[in-house]
Amino acid sequence: MVEMKEKREEVTETLHIPALRRKWQIVVLQVVSTASLLLLLKRMSEIYGPCSDQFVIDHSETSWCPSYEHTRGLMWLSNQGDLYIPDILLGIGQTGTLSLIGPLMMCAFAAFAADRFWSLSHELQTKIKQGTWIAIGAWMVVPFVFSWVISMAYNGLHFPWDHIDHLFSPLGLLLEMIFLGIVFAPVLAGLIGIWGLSKRSISWAVGYFIIVIAFHSILTFEPVLSEVDLGLRPLPTQIGEGSMFWGLVSPLAASLLGIALLILLFMESGIAAISHMEYASSLPEDAKKDREYIRQFNNVVNSHLLQLCMVVALVAITTALALAFDDLMISLVGVFEGSQWTGQVKESLELQMTYGKVISAGLFILVVAGMRFVVPWQTLAGYFESALASLRSSDSVEQSDN
Amino acid sequence: MWTRKAAIMLAGGISLILVGMMISNFQMMIIGLTFISFISINGWIIGHSELEISRYVPHSNVYKGDLIEVSLTITNKSYRRTQQLEVFDNVPHQMKIRRGINQIRLNLGPGQTTKIDYMLRCPLRGHYSVGPISVRFRNAFGLFMNESRIDDICDITVFPQVRDVEDAMLRADVPKMYTGATTLRTPGPGMEFYSLREYLSTDSLRSINWKAFARTGDLMVNQKTRDAVTDVFVILDTREVSRIGTVLKNPLEMGASAAASISNHFLKRKDSVAMVTYGNKMDFLPPDTGDKQHYKILSRLASVSPSGSMPLQAVTNALAPRISRGSPVFIISSLEGDGTTLPAIRNLSGNGHSVTILSPSSIDLERLVSRIPRMSYEVLKLERQNRLTAVSGYGAQVIDWMPDVELSQALLQSRG
Repeated sequence: MVEMKEKREEVTETLHIPALRRKWQIVVLQVVSTASLLLLLKRMSEIYGPCSDQFVIDHSETSWCPSYEHTRGLMWLSNQGDLYIPDILLGIGQTGTLSLIGPLMMCAFAAFAADRFWSLSHELQTKIKQGTWIAIGAWMVVPFVFSWVISMAYNGLHFPWDHIDHLFSPLGLLLEMIFLGIVFAPVLAGLIGIWGLSKRSISWAVGYFIIVIAFHSILTFEPVLSEVDLGLRPLPTQIGEGSMFWGLVSPLAASLLGIALLILLFMESGIAAISHMEYASSLPEDAKKDREYIRQFNNVVNSHLLQLCMVVALVAITTALALAFDDLMISLVGVFEGSQWTGQVKESLELQMTYGKVISAGLFILVVAGMRFVVPWQTLAGYFESALASLRSSDSVEQSDN
Repeated sequence: MWTRKAAIMLAGGISLILVGMMISNFQMMIIGLTFISFISINGWIIGHSELEISRYVPHSNVYKGDLIEVSLTITNKSYRRTQQLEVFDNVPHQMKIRRGINQIRLNLGPGQTTKIDYMLRCPLRGHYSVGPISVRFRNAFGLFMNESRIDDICDITVFPQVRDVEDAMLRADVPKMYTGATTLRTPGPGMEFYSLREYLSTDSLRSINWKAFARTGDLMVNQKTRDAVTDVFVILDTREVSRIGTVLKNPLEMGASAAASISNHFLKRKDSVAMVTYGNKMDFLPPDTGDKQHYKILSRLASVSPSGSMPLQAVTNALAPRISRGSPVFIISSLEGDGTTLPAIRNLSGNGHSVTILSPSSIDLERLVSRIPRMSYEVLKLERQNRLTAVSGYGAQVIDWMPDVELSQALLQSRG
């Protein structure tokens, strides 16, 4: 019975891409990556979405400012004229997370469409592209010609200057797409990357998020803000006292660390799924059905999943500890209260804002990096694993004896 | 070794921290710190290549076009996980992988073993080495890489193809004076029993007739009837001009296969075969019989490569004192670019040797790789025909061997 089951597994489990797309480890990696991407969007919208309080006071809650939020721009656009995409899909009239749902659905659809489009033959792709351009051209020209001809039928021959606005109809849609794209372009690229298996799209999405953060940082930098106030809400310059996770991190640090970790998780899990499938696709047909190759593939993917969980958790703990390391050092120096040296050290470390924190964090990470030469964790884990394996084998022998 | 990704991540992390410090932005600093933490934590995961890898190749001597099954058994003998390793068995680029693949990505736990099998096709004759085995550790997140080599090398000799020319040789217009081994009524090396004689200290123990010893009480040895064999000389042209054509189809490849097949034919008939190759220099394998000579000839043919421009007459002159009177001589050459061909063959024929020339048509072989204008082809072909006619005029049997013709068919076309 067991043999029959094993034989059936031999036949069913292969390393073909359609089979791998259904493999739980790969699906988990893709789902983790997608969830990270969506959470990242949510976090980014929460932190970088609102306009500054002063801007809201000076203008209104719905006035447009160049923040990481799409509805204000679209609402400004709707004030200029009707929108082509329904409000429910644009998220207009919704607040918070609800406003993201409609555009996210469009992103999911676009990612699916893009994946299908790229899987078509080159000839069909060309035909679809040509068809799209023809449709856009027709959208521009046909209403223009109709309105001009009808107008001429009633008013006689004249130049079409009054009907020229029909030619710019697609521009309205383009503007809507631009306002949506500012926020959702990395999401679309990320989804295409994860599910359409494109490492470049994933890297592009990560780069986009970092650029958004960098722009926000520069535009909210005090000297820039005093010259040009675009209404962006700056991040606090003090990270605050640790009040979460046993006083390890402050709420602000937790939010910012969350964004950093989500970027990492999105990038690594998405790329991992693609790398494993790339390797599998490079194997010849008979190796894809070979039991040893399948076993080793499972080994590699399982260990990758385990390492992803462990490494990301450790990175979170290490970075959090690194950020709190200056407090620890201040406490340590506080023990030796009294001497001139301790006073100087304390003062320099109390520059909580930037330098003291970053230098102490860097020192901590350096120590963590150096610890690998001291702690033989891999050997210990190996001993544990072999002990576990021998225990399992003895158990199975006992069972078979019984 | 750090990968490009790790370098970019570190540089990006440091840049974000510095810019974040400059503009007092914690988000950038935290992202930078996270990237550097990620690299630091990943540094803890170290792969290793302390593996026991054994390769099994069932045959180290094969014929051109044969398949070889290679098995690699990889065992992790240490108490650590190997982490993500890529094991790659280096295969000569002349060999083609027919089934399976010569690499695997693995992660072996302590004491675990895995095995990969792949099949190689050997389309070109020669001496090759499979190995060494490259083992590359690649961090799961593609940050670090380390490569090492395991010097397990397996030598493989690919002999030229040996065709069955038995039937063709019988039906061909080549001389039948060499009819294989014939026995003479004198004692000597041979197969048939001649007489018994007393044991001498120079005799080998294997030749003792133990029954006769038991019967007479004296050590007696068997004497054999001496076999008289014909010495067949095969001369193969390995000059630079024998490279003309494709890698698989050129005068040298065709000639090596022909030399192997003809030698095999005569050795099977218990004749004695000598092999001469000339190109850069002349290599002479003295006449001998048996499987050992067959192996020597095949090994010699496996290693020949096109080089040099030694004239045929220099070869025949050098061979003259060593060549037995009346021995048949096979010359396998395209007869291109050598002005001494005619005098050399004239001398051989004049000394009473029956000369057979097997000449792969280099013009037709060249047409496989480059386009020759019709007129030029016709002229070149005519020149070749004249050369072959002139050679046959000196009493040599000439075979104009076209690329698409099998050796056995070509042998039937001999003209004298």
